[in-house]
Amino acid sequence: MEAVISTSTSPATATDNAVELEGITKRFPGVVANRDIRLSVRPGHVHAIVGENGAGKSTLMKILYGMQRPDEGVIRVNGSPIAFRSPADAIAAGIGMVHQHFMLADNLTVLENIILGSEPRRRGVGIDFALARAKIAEISAAYGLGVGPDVLVEDLGVGARQRVEILKVLYRGARILILDEPTAVLVPQEVEELFGNLRRLVDQGLTIIFISHKLDEVLSVADAITVIRRGTTVASVDPKDVTARQLAELMVGSELPSPETRESTVTDQVALAVRNLTVRDADGRAVVEDVSFDIHKGEVLGIAGVEGNGQAELVEAVMGMRPAQGVIKLGDADVSAWPTLRRREGGIGYIPEDRQRHGLLLESPLWENRILGHQTRKPNVKGPWIDRAGARADTQRIVTEYDVRTPGIDVDAAALSGGNQQKLIVGREMSGDPVVLIASHPTRGVDVGAQAAIWDHLRAARAAGLAVLLISADLDELIGLSDSLKVILRGRVVADVDPGHVTPERLGSAMTGAKDEITPAPPPATGVVPEPPGPATTGIKGGAVPEQPGPPTGGSPDQLGSAKADAGEEA
Amino acid sequence: MSSFSDRLLGRVRLGGLLAVAAPLLAIVFAGLVTSLILALTGNPPLETMKLLADYGAQSRTIVMIINLATTYYISALAVAIGFRMNLFNIGVDGQYRLAALIAAAVGGALVLPAPLHVGVTILVAVAVGGIWASIAGLLKVTRGVSEVISTIMLNAIATGVGAWLLTTDRLAVAVSGSNNIGTKPIPPSGQFPGFSLIPGTQAQVFGFVVIAALLGIGYHVLFNRTRFGFDLRATGKSESAAIASGVNVKKMVLLTMIISGAVAGLVGMPQLLGASYSYSLDFPPGLGFTGIAIALLGRNNPVGIAIGALLWSFLDNSSDILDLEGIPKEIVIIMQGTIVLSVIVAYELVHRYRLAAEQRRVSRELSTNAPAPLEGAAA
Amino acid sequence: MLRTHAGKLAATTAVGAMLMAAAACGGSSDTGTATSAPAASSASSAAPTGPKVGLAYDIGGRGDQSFNDAAAAGLEKAKSELSLADTKELEAGSGETGAQKEQRLRLLAQGGYNPVIAVGFAYSEAIKKVAKEFPDTKFAIIDDAAEGPNISNLVFAENEGSFLVGAVAALKTKKDHIGFVGGVQVPLIKKFEVGFTRGAQAVKPDIKIDVKYLTQPPDFGGFNDPAKGKTAAEGMYDAGADIVYQAAGGSGGGVFEAAKAAKGFAIGVDSDQALTADEGVRSVILTSMLKKVDVAVFDFLKSYTDGTVQAGVKVYDLKAGGVDFSTTGGQVDDVKNKVDEYKQKIIDGTIKVPAE
Repeated sequence: MEAVISTSTSPATATDNAVELEGITKRFPGVVANRDIRLSVRPGHVHAIVGENGAGKSTLMKILYGMQRPDEGVIRVNGSPIAFRSPADAIAAGIGMVHQHFMLADNLTVLENIILGSEPRRRGVGIDFALARAKIAEISAAYGLGVGPDVLVEDLGVGARQRVEILKVLYRGARILILDEPTAVLVPQEVEELFGNLRRLVDQGLTIIFISHKLDEVLSVADAITVIRRGTTVASVDPKDVTARQLAELMVGSELPSPETRESTVTDQVALAVRNLTVRDADGRAVVEDVSFDIHKGEVLGIAGVEGNGQAELVEAVMGMRPAQGVIKLGDADVSAWPTLRRREGGIGYIPEDRQRHGLLLESPLWENRILGHQTRKPNVKGPWIDRAGARADTQRIVTEYDVRTPGIDVDAAALSGGNQQKLIVGREMSGDPVVLIASHPTRGVDVGAQAAIWDHLRAARAAGLAVLLISADLDELIGLSDSLKVILRGRVVADVDPGHVTPERLGSAMTGAKDEITPAPPPATGVVPEPPGPATTGIKGGAVPEQPGPPTGGSPDQLGSAKADAGEEA
Repeated sequence: MSSFSDRLLGRVRLGGLLAVAAPLLAIVFAGLVTSLILALTGNPPLETMKLLADYGAQSRTIVMIINLATTYYISALAVAIGFRMNLFNIGVDGQYRLAALIAAAVGGALVLPAPLHVGVTILVAVAVGGIWASIAGLLKVTRGVSEVISTIMLNAIATGVGAWLLTTDRLAVAVSGSNNIGTKPIPPSGQFPGFSLIPGTQAQVFGFVVIAALLGIGYHVLFNRTRFGFDLRATGKSESAAIASGVNVKKMVLLTMIISGAVAGLVGMPQLLGASYSYSLDFPPGLGFTGIAIALLGRNNPVGIAIGALLWSFLDNSSDILDLEGIPKEIVIIMQGTIVLSVIVAYELVHRYRLAAEQRRVSRELSTNAPAPLEGAAA
Repeated sequence: MLRTHAGKLAATTAVGAMLMAAAACGGSSDTGTATSAPAASSASSAAPTGPKVGLAYDIGGRGDQSFNDAAAAGLEKAKSELSLADTKELEAGSGETGAQKEQRLRLLAQGGYNPVIAVGFAYSEAIKKVAKEFPDTKFAIIDDAAEGPNISNLVFAENEGSFLVGAVAALKTKKDHIGFVGGVQVPLIKKFEVGFTRGAQAVKPDIKIDVKYLTQPPDFGGFNDPAKGKTAAEGMYDAGADIVYQAAGGSGGGVFEAAKAAKGFAIGVDSDQALTADEGVRSVILTSMLKKVDVAVFDFLKSYTDGTVQAGVKVYDLKAGGVDFSTTGGQVDDVKNKVDEYKQKIIDGTIKVPAE
């Protein structure tokens, strides 16, 4: 499917580019971070870098901003090779970073925030506020940022705070700005304003590197787009030549071995039933809203959605790690009020999304990691005592059966590669004789061999009657493994999809909200294949679809839902 | 990856020889710094060290070192229990003072046969320490109050409560003819007998040294052999992973705080039941803070803490001999500080070295032992 | 909090709680052997042939502006007036146990130091044990009545001295409102408070007296925290007091500063602070309650060299001249006669000053 798009990095002459990365590779113990990254950013461009979460965008940005040093490769800024030892070096080279999470002191004024750390000195001691104020006013006017220097930051809205961040970076003399997911915190109007500001900036000759996974936004603002997948740059494209669908394909990729599982093993026994599940965040906003589904024994239910649409919260609610309203039934038992441990004991296995944070004790040996999450069950414990021999023997078994490549079970989990860590987790979660497995991005950041092995294990378990809730950003994986699919958007299930009749392109479009490009024909507009009657599908679709506002042009319709809440927060 | 504080608090293990390398490195370094300071202040370093060594080798000094180390050891264990799961129990100080005061009052008032009398007194101390610490635990669990803040506050409150209780109107009796006041002395049936361990002196080693050793063993067993200990360590190493594995973190916080406080309650017991038999105005304060330093020094390891406690006690006990010889006794404090700092730095260095070495080893062993095609890149 | 200043305890001045306990003295004092002891212990061939004196301070040691300093002053005087072979001063550390205090005294005794003086009641238990181990060494302890055949107890009637300055305060106040700032709330300092209160009430039964202690044990920081002293005194002056008596060791400086700022007056303690305090604040010091630790230390050493050491309690009260009030600066000249009357009544027993 890459045929559509030229995947070659444009070999523009290095001297012309504001930023030029060549063969950047960064290794971390256990994970692929960046491999052979190539990137050419022309001056005066808004250059977007898109990729899934975990594709390596943030590492790349840290390298560019001097927070991490690449193991290999060359960075050129304005044509000359440069080695950053710290962000201070990057700032000196004219590179500034606007972080996703603002780094402002609420109780200081805009002026104070901006000069904090680079105060203009008067005779070496006093702070020259007048000079700073003049300079800020000048920059603010030049780029149309419109921020008053003497307002307290706590009185500012989110959009204005972001402009302060930009101002801060400009004040330090940056000519190249890195914006990390700048729209994540903004409501649509603010996004429009931001894009207006960005245009002003590039018109004045500045260069902007814009990181996002919101394809519509990227297409509307970028002059050039580079796609990152699995730690490497896979394509550089011109937004004029590409559709959201094609970008989605590039982001997700399809060169992987097929995870196909065709002959159905679905039974009619419901293993996990979820009814009207609603999860609220700290501000009371529903991040998962009224979600219902059944998973039968031998069934894999896939949840498709752009990240950040409630999947993580849904999983945590099912695991009992996050308070939720609604009913969760495991077999016949209502487990809604059970704590996590009891749910696990009841037969829910869990492959967490972030294995390093939720799945492993990195600084503990493998055999102790075997116990994690199973610390009440054989063969790990005898009464209140840890059964070291039992746990160790069983760890050895997992290592053998799941082909975990390790010199021994006394090695710390941190020393293993990501793929082997994941195989250990899969092996562990399968060992508890689970009835239900919650698999969140089971093959993310895992190399190809391990991925195939994990798929095999999932298929085998499914055939043996396991019910699986599969969350993945890898559409091929979702379509290939799932017996049924649901699309989640803004915390609601908006569509049911038959994995047998959907292509990654269509699914991806439904997820990214770029539905108009998929099937321009029928008004229902989700572009998703009509769902053959399946378990627990009725009602959901009907309720959700009409809510989708008809998007005029550009913008990002999938933001509207949150717009209200955001505005509320701001007030 | 482990954070610096994980390594600082010894939640990250170092294996084999490296575990020994770090403290050795640190002590050698501390020795060098101290020598330098001695030389700069015009005192001969070698002779000073010899003086310390000779003094430390005397029978009576050894008894004193062991006795003081017993107290330090229990204090450091109490701190270490919290450290193992990221709880900074700064309140050991207040916990043991209050526990010792109330236990002393109860012990002084009771008339019971010997073993029972001692047992009840100790139980009271354990209970008071645990209850006092549970306040900080409850505040953290229910209101999210940092235990650092609350235990510091509780120390101040314990001082106030202690001062209020330790008056002749309440728990104290005047020591005849003295400006001191203290609780009623505990009768012989409530005293914990010492024994002669070191030949060549009549000074007796606290019987409590046995209890301290048992506590150390219990600590090891609790953390390494029980489910509870596993949950506790898991929470300390990665709270997020512990939650995902089903650990009830709030319950663990509360329990850990109570256990830490209960052990803290014992800190004053060697002194109370083995030497002073009364809690008076000059009951040693500040032991809880010494415990923090020693827990850091011993990397929360029961054997490491024992060595740290002995070293600390040795240095504390040597200050007088230095003073007597005209060498500034403050040198001891400098040594203690330098040792703690160097241990932290040395462990950090060794940890980094070990992490890199283990990763190299894993990839090397995999490439030699498993000629089968390796997966992926050198992820 | 990391370092509570544990030992400044015995701090400022001590009232003769055990005035009558003096009866306990005499017990088994064997002056005969005592005199022979120094010869044995100072067998060294050093030039001066006098005794080697060991002094063990409580926490703070020299420089605490309190009784450690007073003891040091006594030692200094002895050095210049008596022929001492050697002196050795050791100092307590914070948070130490009784065993460490014992060891300190033991090291001194072992090192041939005789006599050995322990400063502060914290050495009470320690000195009893060590004195038993070294029957040929003479020990002295300040502010404590620990018994032993070779222990001399140097105790003070702080309540009597405080009675006199209380009377001064009551006679000089224009607002019938005075204050007392104690360093740490321990029985020793309580004696100052009681004496002061009684003295003031003897003059004006309805006088208003504010009382404030800076810290509570085991936090002995109240003896060394001028800022706390200042705050406490400021509160009293603001509330209408015009004279404040401080028994707070090193914190007293803060009380004087507050007095100066409030244009009020203060009363010093231990030494004649109109001579020893910072020059800027001397003018506010009406008088000082003198607790002559230096005299006691010197007397003890003198008796040792004379071979007349007596074990048991020696009470430094008004009668013995161990406590008194100062008249430096002449600010109390107008009431001196009146106060001297009280002094005489206490000496002849017509007035009994309670200690608690």
